[in-house]
Amino acid sequence: MALVFQTLITGLAIGGIYSLMAVGYSLIFSILNFSNFAFGMIIMLASFIGYFAMSTGYVNLGVALFLAMAGAGALSFFNERIAYSSLRKRHAPPLYFMISAMGTSIFLENMVYATIGSQYKAYPQVFKVPTISIFGASLGKMDLFAIIFSIVAIWFLNYFIQRTRTGISIRAASYDAAIAEINGVNLGAVIGLVFVLAGFFAGISGIFLGVKYMAYPNMGWITNKAYVAAVIGGLGSLPGAVTGGIILGVLESFVSVYISSTLRDVFSFGALIAFLVIKPSGLFGKYLEEKV
Amino acid sequence: MLKIEGINVFYGRIHALRDVSMQVTPGQVVSLVGANGAGKSTLMMALAGALKAKSGAITYDGRPLATEAHKVVGQGISLVPERRRLYANLTVRENLLMGAHLRKDAKEIEADMERMKELFPIIRERIKQYAGTLSGGEQQMVAIARGLMSRPKILLMDEPSLGLAPLIIQQVFEIIGELKSQGMTILLAEQNAFQALEISDYAYVLETGRITLSGAGQELLEDPRVQEAYLGVKAKAIEAIEATEATEATETTEATETTEAIETTEATEATGQ
Repeated sequence: MALVFQTLITGLAIGGIYSLMAVGYSLIFSILNFSNFAFGMIIMLASFIGYFAMSTGYVNLGVALFLAMAGAGALSFFNERIAYSSLRKRHAPPLYFMISAMGTSIFLENMVYATIGSQYKAYPQVFKVPTISIFGASLGKMDLFAIIFSIVAIWFLNYFIQRTRTGISIRAASYDAAIAEINGVNLGAVIGLVFVLAGFFAGISGIFLGVKYMAYPNMGWITNKAYVAAVIGGLGSLPGAVTGGIILGVLESFVSVYISSTLRDVFSFGALIAFLVIKPSGLFGKYLEEKV
Repeated sequence: MLKIEGINVFYGRIHALRDVSMQVTPGQVVSLVGANGAGKSTLMMALAGALKAKSGAITYDGRPLATEAHKVVGQGISLVPERRRLYANLTVRENLLMGAHLRKDAKEIEADMERMKELFPIIRERIKQYAGTLSGGEQQMVAIARGLMSRPKILLMDEPSLGLAPLIIQQVFEIIGELKSQGMTILLAEQNAFQALEISDYAYVLETGRITLSGAGQELLEDPRVQEAYLGVKAKAIEAIEATEATEATETTEATETTEAIETTEATEATGQ
């Protein structure tokens, strides 16, 4: 029983990180209708920001989170302004965006190889005693923190998107950008804001991934999992991204413990294929049609 | 006064509007009639800033109109787009809030929301529903309300009767009449020429990107060219009416019925799209 509980908590922690990444992915997908492959590299850079900040010894986890969020927010913003905005103004089809995104991610990854190097960088220990014992199960404090922080961050985002007028205009623009502009929405500003928000989520997940698995130049590809999570939940849907992330995290955690950790990815990508075959719109996806 | 002077608009290589000039006088309903593909929507989109004119000028009270779509509504010009184009993923209330996007006066926005519920009772019932779940007629009412939420000085309405049942079309024109009586300035693009001309102070006929005729609404209604091309009144049918007027009264009614029949068929054809 304790093992089940422990596995569940680990799964939820990983699921929380997947959710954060999938939320960032989905935000961008919902407004520009393409998968931003450069997003993973922003997570990786955020992880390095966190690593360098914390290894100075003067910075605690909270400040590192703040720095990583700010840095990733800025990177994400410039990612859009440099790589996508000119395509957007020319009404290029999504494929061109994806190619530009791939170029950006290859560039960023190799920049890190060339400057920081290819070594794995381990974060300094966050908690002196890393685990806590509850009901006989030994749970990682960092896992619990990640779960709570993910919930809070996603709650804030959801509140912002659902309740504020800026949030409403983001949803409106994601449905019909041309009409939103006619209603007075400055599309360039809204898209910039969406990329900054997605960057914040990249920052948070970069730190959590770094603490859990270390920071390294090709860690950005772990966002493949976020992509799987977003597809399971329904691309472009925020509740879907969260649900998909949690399902995937818990699934992986149980597969690792009860079947084999080497088969973990087989199950993850198997789930992706299963969803693409049976329900390509995902659990919460409302529509699959192309945007104009 | 909204003035359009000799604008030319292109879609790629297609010359969609050729030297179009027209004006909209405050307090009037001005309509723009023409067949499918004549350029009515192109003109509306150009006014709303969503399409750029290659040459010519659009001015409002002497000042050039913004060429960026998101600034036009701030200048007092609001578009109710063709096919309604509500945000299906937003509730009716959120759609209306989007209409008031640039306004900061929260209290006044709520007051206008209340006014919209008075003007369109259906909005009161549907306020919390997603706009995508509404019927076509209901969506049109919400689209008009969304257009009004910015408190425009000029309301541009692009084919508000498109795809609606005759009874709903009647309601739409009643709303336009109501807005007109409140002093709203309206530029109305319509295929439904008869009803549009009837309600208009002034009208322009657009044919393949050119303005071919203009005049007071009533004047155009009586113009044989307009009658033949847009009102479904065939020249021969008119002659027939005139001829039968001299003979028995029963025959006259039959002939009138025929013209009416033609009109209704055209109306149904228009709604069937």
